[in-house]
Parts: sequence; C-alpha cells; structure tokens
Amino acid sequence: MSCGKCNKTTVEELKKTHKLLAEFDYEPVKVEKGYANRTLYVNVSDNKIELKPVSEELKEKFIGGRGFGLWYLWQAVTPETKWNDPENEIIISSGPIGGITQYPGTGKSYVVSLSPLTNIPIDSNVGGYFGPFLKFSGFDALEIQGKAENDVIIFIDGDNHKITIEEAPEECVDSHILAEQLTEMYADSEEGKKNVSVVSAGSAAEHTRIGMLNFSYYDVRRKKVKLKQAGRGGIGTVFRDKKIKALVIKFSNLKGDSNNPADFDTIAKTGIKLHKEIHDFDDLQNSMRKTGTTYLVSIMNDYDLLPTCNFQFGNHPEAHKISSKVFKNYFNITKTDGCWYGCTLACAKSVDVFKLKTGPYKGQKVIVDGPEYETIAGVGSNCGIFDPEAVLECNFYCDTYGVDTISFGTLCAFVMECYERGIINKETTGGLELKFGNWKAQLELLHQMARGEGFGKIAGQGIKRMKEIFAKDYGADINFLNDIGMEAKGLEFAEYMPKESLAQQGGFGLTNKGPQHDEAWLIFMDMVNKQLPTFEDKAEALHYFPMFRTWFSLVGLCKLPWNDIVPEDNAETDEPHKIPEHVQNYVDLFTAVTGKKITKEDLILQSERVYNFQRVFNIRMGKGRRKHDDIPYRAVGPVTVEEYESRQERYDKQLKEEVGINPEGMTTEEKIKVLREYREKRYEKLKDAVYKRRGWTMDGVPKLETLKRLGIDYPEVVEIIKQYLD
Amino acid sequence: MKVVEKKAELCIGCHTCEQACSKVLFKVEDPEKSAIRIFEKADEGFDINVCNQCGECIDICPVEAIYKGKNGNVMINKEKCVGCFACVGFCPISAMRQHKDYTQPFKCISCGACTRECPTEAIFMKEKE
Amino acid sequence: MIEVNGEHIPWKEGMTIQDVLETCRYTYPMVIIKVNGKIIKRAQYETYKVKDGDVVQVIHLMSGG
Repeated sequence: MSCGKCNKTTVEELKKTHKLLAEFDYEPVKVEKGYANRTLYVNVSDNKIELKPVSEELKEKFIGGRGFGLWYLWQAVTPETKWNDPENEIIISSGPIGGITQYPGTGKSYVVSLSPLTNIPIDSNVGGYFGPFLKFSGFDALEIQGKAENDVIIFIDGDNHKITIEEAPEECVDSHILAEQLTEMYADSEEGKKNVSVVSAGSAAEHTRIGMLNFSYYDVRRKKVKLKQAGRGGIGTVFRDKKIKALVIKFSNLKGDSNNPADFDTIAKTGIKLHKEIHDFDDLQNSMRKTGTTYLVSIMNDYDLLPTCNFQFGNHPEAHKISSKVFKNYFNITKTDGCWYGCTLACAKSVDVFKLKTGPYKGQKVIVDGPEYETIAGVGSNCGIFDPEAVLECNFYCDTYGVDTISFGTLCAFVMECYERGIINKETTGGLELKFGNWKAQLELLHQMARGEGFGKIAGQGIKRMKEIFAKDYGADINFLNDIGMEAKGLEFAEYMPKESLAQQGGFGLTNKGPQHDEAWLIFMDMVNKQLPTFEDKAEALHYFPMFRTWFSLVGLCKLPWNDIVPEDNAETDEPHKIPEHVQNYVDLFTAVTGKKITKEDLILQSERVYNFQRVFNIRMGKGRRKHDDIPYRAVGPVTVEEYESRQERYDKQLKEEVGINPEGMTTEEKIKVLREYREKRYEKLKDAVYKRRGWTMDGVPKLETLKRLGIDYPEVVEIIKQYLD
Repeated sequence: MKVVEKKAELCIGCHTCEQACSKVLFKVEDPEKSAIRIFEKADEGFDINVCNQCGECIDICPVEAIYKGKNGNVMINKEKCVGCFACVGFCPISAMRQHKDYTQPFKCISCGACTRECPTEAIFMKEKE
Repeated sequence: MIEVNGEHIPWKEGMTIQDVLETCRYTYPMVIIKVNGKIIKRAQYETYKVKDGDVVQVIHLMSGG
C-alpha cells in the first residue's frame, strides 16, 4: 500500500533511501525472572547508543513499566524542561510480568514522557508486541532522548543483537501505511511478520499537542497489521518533534518461557484458571470476546453516564445507533482478537474492510482497529454524532494520523458547544459548521490537523490553550469557558459523566496525570450502589483503587482481565469489588515470575511508592498541589439552565434534602448558584479526606513521613517537597 | 479419521491406558503425563477423559500452531506454539493437558496405543466423520 | 414499598427480581443481588418474588475502560 504522495512504490525502493547513521552491536542476555537487567538508551541528536545496568534498588523500588519510565525521566529533565526540549525523553517499558503468554492481558507497554498538554509526566499504556519484544531482545526499557535533524527510524534487531539508527526520508508518516511497510521491510519473510512490531505516530501528531503512538502487531489470521494506541497526553507529538518516524523491533524466538520465570507451573495453572473462567462466563457477563468494550455504550446511556454534547447530558434517544448491537454487525470477529498472545478476553475488535468516505485516503478500503467505548463516546455521543460509520471513519483517521481519540473527541465536543453558543463562528472556524452532530465538519477538523492548517491547528492545541485563545482573540467569557472546557491539568477528560458521583469527580481530579479513568472508576459504587456514603469511605476508595490500578502499569499488565470478567463465586467474597480471587492471581503471578514473595498489601505498597514519586515529580514541574486538582464545574454539577432542568428532580431533591433549602419559588439560575456552592464545597472536603488518607498535607504534598514510610525519601525527592512543608 | 471411543461402564480403573499413553508421548509411565485420563466418579465407576478431535482448539490458538493432521486428527506444532495454554482453558471437554515439566500443552494424537493395552475394551478406535 | 439501593419504589404483587431490575432500569449484567442481606443467584432472578417491605441491594461491580 502506498499513500500516493511519494514515488517509491515498493518497500525495497524505500529501504534503499535509508541512510545509516549509527550501528551498535550488543551482547545478548538471558532474561532472568522477568528482567533483562539492562536498559537501552538512544540519543537521536548525536546518535549515541548506550546500555545501562538495572540495579536491584531500581527493581525493588520502581518495579518496571511506568515506575522505570518515571525514574529515567526524572534523571533526564530539570524543573525548567519543556516537552519540546531535546532533553525530554520517551521511555517505553513493559514490566517484569509483561511478556508472559499464559495469563490474559500480559503484553502491555507503558510509555512515559513530559506531556505537551500538561507539561508534567504522562504515562500511557498500550498493547501490541513492542514491549515484550523489547525485553526479550535484552532491554527492560528503551529511553529515547534528543532531536534528530531529519526523520529517523530506530531499529532493534533482537535476533542479531544489533541496533541501527537510519535516516528514512521517503515513507509516509501515517500509521496505517507506515506500519505495514515497515513490517514488510524488516520481516525476514511472510511467516516472520509476526516477529516485527512498529511504533509510529502520524501526520496530525506533528501539528497538534494530542499526538499518540501506535504500537503494531501482526495478526496471523487476518494477515494484517493491527494497531493499538498509547493515546493519552500527546506522546506522539513528542515523538514527531524528535523527528522519529518509527521504532521497529524484531524478535523471532518467542516461547512460553521467554520471560524465564521462577515458577512456570504456577503461572501456567493460574492462566488456565482464568482462560476457563473467560470461556465459561464471558458470554453471561460483558461479552468482551464478541463486542470488546463497545458493550458499555448502552449501559452508560441507561445509567445517564454517557457523555453527550460536551458532557451536558448523560443519555440520548439515538444512543442505540452506536451501541454494541450495531458495531457487532461491522466487526469481523475471530476467536483470537487479543493484542498479545494468550489474551483470551480478546477485546481488540476490528472492522476489516471499511471504505473511507473522506480525506486523503477516500475510496480506499482499510482496516479499522476498534472502535472502543471511549472512542464511540468521545467522537460520537459527546459530539452529538450517532452515525456508526462516522465513528468508524473518525476512529480510523485519528489512528492513522496519530491522534488520541479521547482528547480529540472531548476537544471537538468543546468546540461544538462554543460554536452553538456563538462563542466562535463560521468566520473563526474558516467555514467549518461545527455544530453538534455534524460529522463531516468533525472529520474536516481532523484532516486540517493532519495538514497543519486552518482552525484544526488551533483546536489541536487542546482545550486548555483554546480557552485562552478564545478569550483573548474572540472576547469569550473565560469563566464560562473554564466551566465547560472539560480538561484538568491540561488533559482532556475521558468519556464518563462524573457529575452525579462525587467519588468519580475525585477519580478524575485527584489524579497524577490528569482526568483519565484508569486510576479509579467509582461511579457505580458511589452513585448507584451507595456504598461510599461518607467522605472517609470515598477517600478509602480513592486510595485503594488508584493504588491497585497503578500496579498494572508497573508490571506490564492490562486492567481489563481484573474486573471485566469475574469468578462464579465472587459475590460470596468479602469484598466483591476488589475481585479477591483475581487479586490473589496477581500476587501469585508476581511471585512466580520474580521469585519474590509478596502479599496483596505489598502490591499496594509497590504502587504507593511510584504514585507518590509521580506526585512529587509533578510538584517538581510546578504542578501537583491542591489547586492543580481542580476540575471544571461541568464535571461537578449543572453549568447551564438546560443542564439543570434535564435533571431537575434530582437537583431539587438534593437542595431540599442535603442543602436544606426549599427550591420552590426559586428561579433555575438561583438554584444553580446554591447547588454550585454546595457541590464545590463538597469537592474541597473530598480533597481534604483524600489527602489525609494518602498521607499528604492539605496542600496535596506528600508528607516527609509518607516518603520515609515508602522508602523513597531520596535527598533529591525530599528537596522538592521541603519548601511546602511547615 | 480414527478417534478414541469409550464405553465407560466397562472401565475397571486399572490406569493401564494412561501408562501406555505417557510412554508414547514422553517415554515415561506417569498418568499425569498421559493424554487420556481415568477419574474415579463420586458415586461408582470411572470417567474416561480423552480428546474427541473436535478441533475447537484450532481456532483459539493465536499462532495457528494447532492444525488438523493428514489423518484428520488435531495436532500441535511445537515449533509454532508459544505456550499460552488458551487451548487448555477453552477445550469444551477439558482434554487438552498441561504438566509442570513442560512449557507447552499436549493432547491425544489418536495413535491407539491406549486402546491396545485396555484389558476390557472400554476404549477402542472408531472411525469418525 | 420496597427499598432498592436506598431508594423507595412501589411494590407490586408477584414482583420478581427481574421486575425490580426493569423498574430501576438496571441493565448492567455484572451485578450482585441481595434481598434482606441474602444473595440471590442469577438463575432465580425471574422466579424469586420480593415481598412488600423487602430491602433489595443491587450491587453493580465495576468494569470497562
């Protein structure tokens, strides 16, 4: 396949245009108990390639994955470093459990960098084969620093123990073409394509701050390259700013024991137990094998949680048009839709032949990876779009252009609301009629981002910067924009309505990287089950779940097999929300891989170390304190009259029962004001309770005793917090 | 294709079949390493568990390591297998095996060795569509 | 009246667990149901009849994302 822009049609011709900049041979190492005990450093400014040993201390304290990423990033940057400075790094690491094939969801890579959206560390997780292949090629992490002069490819040949940096001028940067070309170029044969994984971004990553990275894997059944996305926080933007066109890895000798664990048998038996559970219960539970995460659309709609028209509302009469029932008919399902070997939860759905209606690839038949729930809710319902083919088209272009569907969806929803309210108009958008529901305008906005022109270039800066521009250049009311612009810390919100769940407001706001649901998803526990009645209950949940879920990012695991499938007797356990049997599986897996005996309490402790280190890192970069945990009022309560009136019964009841005010005779505006005071105060009280539980000061700064308890009271860490402690 | 058929009511639980099988597969006499397994029932008598060559596991293998051999029996290509054991968890009759000494699953290859040793003809080879 | 997750809803003669779920629009499949503290198995949702005054908990587990 070719993009039609360059005149090189075969990969042989493309390969010939490569210019070798650096070559580096390395000694192979055998992975021992989940670690290669070595990392790889590549600087694309001066083409320096180095190996670094991994110390026992690093493994003990930072475990791997996101932990390693944060540690290396800390060493690389200063408080003054900006995302586009050469010293900013992109670090990719899987983790000690990553790469085992026996347990579902064990092929994740975690990517860390300073984010162009937030200017603090971002971590993003992704499937595909790159992370495991990196470790089995001999490296627990890959650190990339510097900026290349011209576009380069870094190739790690795990078979021949060689790393090259090659100038690669001709290939198209869009991922659906690039990943396929490079897979063919670096594979030994047709059969060998499954041994190659490519990391790439796309043309819109160059012109926006919402760029993401695609991690590829070759699907032997479809005979197609599939892509998974490290979506959040603009790492693809950093990647293209460094003039990296792609990372390519080849590793051909994958075996069930490539991770060389301490106790293979326990891993095999634990894995088989979960395979059986999925086989027996997935159809009765979430049907992940048949519909992936799309099942959530109708559920969220039924519970008034599906973000609609920029998080104004939580449901829509047309939501059924973009539900799993509809996408099921588009999906080409195989029984092996996993993004790493052995993932029988198999949520990586795709539409194998989709004919594009717009843009530079119009008329081409392409494979669409997804859509996942977040994409459908983001580019679909949140933008008032309920056309499944529009969602597929937008999903495809976001992926190939290297753009995060969540940030794109949320920022597009913001733009559309601004357009409908007259804050921006046809003149400011260069003719784009960005009304809710106008999918053609949405796609054109995306194509503009890829071309780096027009209003797309402004929108691609993200909501935080758009708010400033709209206020400064178009005279918009900044307070109103702050209320409706769904970003916190600079990152766009993920696609769940937190308005009626205080705990979830904390789940989005009291986070390290910004409003991403991977720390805590507490809406059902809080709003529906009413299991978290007090501030202390909510604080406990906002301690346990973020810590527990952080752990996946340290060891190289996917979150989904934790609670998207549950054992038959889960209901009878003490704490069904935690899925105790699966927690025990993780404890067993960690011990079986590393040989280090741990308990479920140790697992939380491991996370707490890295979580608190990340918090201090945020403080070091000028964020990470109480005021930075604020969220827009739209995430907390009704901003507008329409929003209030859409849930009047609920809000009136709250005024009467909780605030102690009789709403009768009050205008909606008056009610909004009183409710707002009440809800904002409640959010501040939540901060108090959570900070207390996490061992932080009321300014949100980890206390010295907390750092000491966790054993991360390194002088350089203590130095950062000292000035904020009394 | 020939498959191992069974008349469980004839089984006397002598486990001879298991020894014959493990000998063929791994050159040891160890029931744990046998593809055919005999289990004592809670009430009375025995269950015979052995692959019926249905082929469900073929589609569940992520690397296409499981295939129909030229006789129609289901085989595992050890070169391709990455040891995920999805086939073990997804076997509808739990006849795909895992053993602590091996990093790959194993199964009945329809060789018939067990049936030749069975003293009561509780197991025998039968032609199947 | 019966109580479901802390909210009062009208009770009807012959009301089953399934009826309760439909009344509350609880469509999520991953739930644990307790009536007066006792777990009701999924297979009984269509046959188990709630009595007037029963306290029903429909505990939604988390998933997704």
